[in-house]
Amino acid sequence: MYDLIEGPFLSLAFIIFVLGLLYQGSRFFQLTRKKEWIAPPLPGAEKRVKKSVGQFIIDGLASVKGTLWKTDPLMMIVTSAFHVCLILAPIFLLAHNVLLDQSWGIGLWSFPESFTDWLTIVVLICVAFFLMRRLFLARVRAITSFYDYFVLLIAAAPFLTGYLAYHQWFDYRTVMILHILTAELMLITVPFTKLGHMLFFFLYRFLIGSEYSFTRGSRTW
Amino acid sequence: MSNQNIKPINTGEIKEMLNRQKGKMKRYLSFCAHCSLCADSCFLYRAHNRDPQYMPSYKVIQSLGKLYKKRGEADRRLLTEIKGIVWRNCVLCGRCYCPIGIHIPSMIAFARSICRSQDVYPQGDEASSESWL
Repeated sequence: MYDLIEGPFLSLAFIIFVLGLLYQGSRFFQLTRKKEWIAPPLPGAEKRVKKSVGQFIIDGLASVKGTLWKTDPLMMIVTSAFHVCLILAPIFLLAHNVLLDQSWGIGLWSFPESFTDWLTIVVLICVAFFLMRRLFLARVRAITSFYDYFVLLIAAAPFLTGYLAYHQWFDYRTVMILHILTAELMLITVPFTKLGHMLFFFLYRFLIGSEYSFTRGSRTW
Repeated sequence: MSNQNIKPINTGEIKEMLNRQKGKMKRYLSFCAHCSLCADSCFLYRAHNRDPQYMPSYKVIQSLGKLYKKRGEADRRLLTEIKGIVWRNCVLCGRCYCPIGIHIPSMIAFARSICRSQDVYPQGDEASSESWL
């Protein structure tokens, strides 16, 4: 069982993850091939005004007023911490890199184990925050279905089981099997569920034609 | 009254319209994280004492989301309900902001197009009517 989920299942999960993201990415570019403008560009809008670094920073800070950092700062802090830790913890975890080294002879630089342990705790605290939001905040509850709780569970389960495995709570072997299985489930579901915002967050950011993107953007849906 | 109560709903036409935009719209709907962070970007939500039914994501899920969920099998009652959401609860100002980057106005506009194709749209005298919903 362990050999199966650690071997072929894991490879399959990674293949589905990578191919799924490539498919979704290519579909995105296909669907946005035709240029659309929400509003026609204003005359002279293409001209970029050269700004000094100081002015750029001042304008940047002023524009924060109109963003979610102003309207919902707590959620922005929690969601930023969650996503940063969610990406960093598994990639720079010593145990994962040791396994990579043993299998393929490659391994990334790793954080100290106590540090990744804290990153995991941050992820779990953020998940608890999201859960409370879903349960008790009227506007979130209004659009929440069972599926949203399930997706939150998919995101949280590899971290919860990883934490339990590292501290060797409960039966280690069972917890490890659950850890690998839940991580594989997460990888497989990323391209095809709302976890796909992992890819689309970046694509939209650069391509959507609005004042919210980094660039002016010329492709929109 | 207008022909809104006379013309039968052509579900085939609705299905065709939904299928034509399926690639974009279904992706939008399925990648929405239901985070509600779009709420405060809507002035109607803020003006209505932060009533969740004015939240951009709620409006999209309850209109276009329902049409896709029912695979286009809409009746007049559903379309009338959607009419209230996409015309009364949204002025299509295009100011709604999704942190994931989902383009909400295009979804509302598409839901309006579907309603309009079935002759379901607000008449002049009901522009501010509360009886839509």
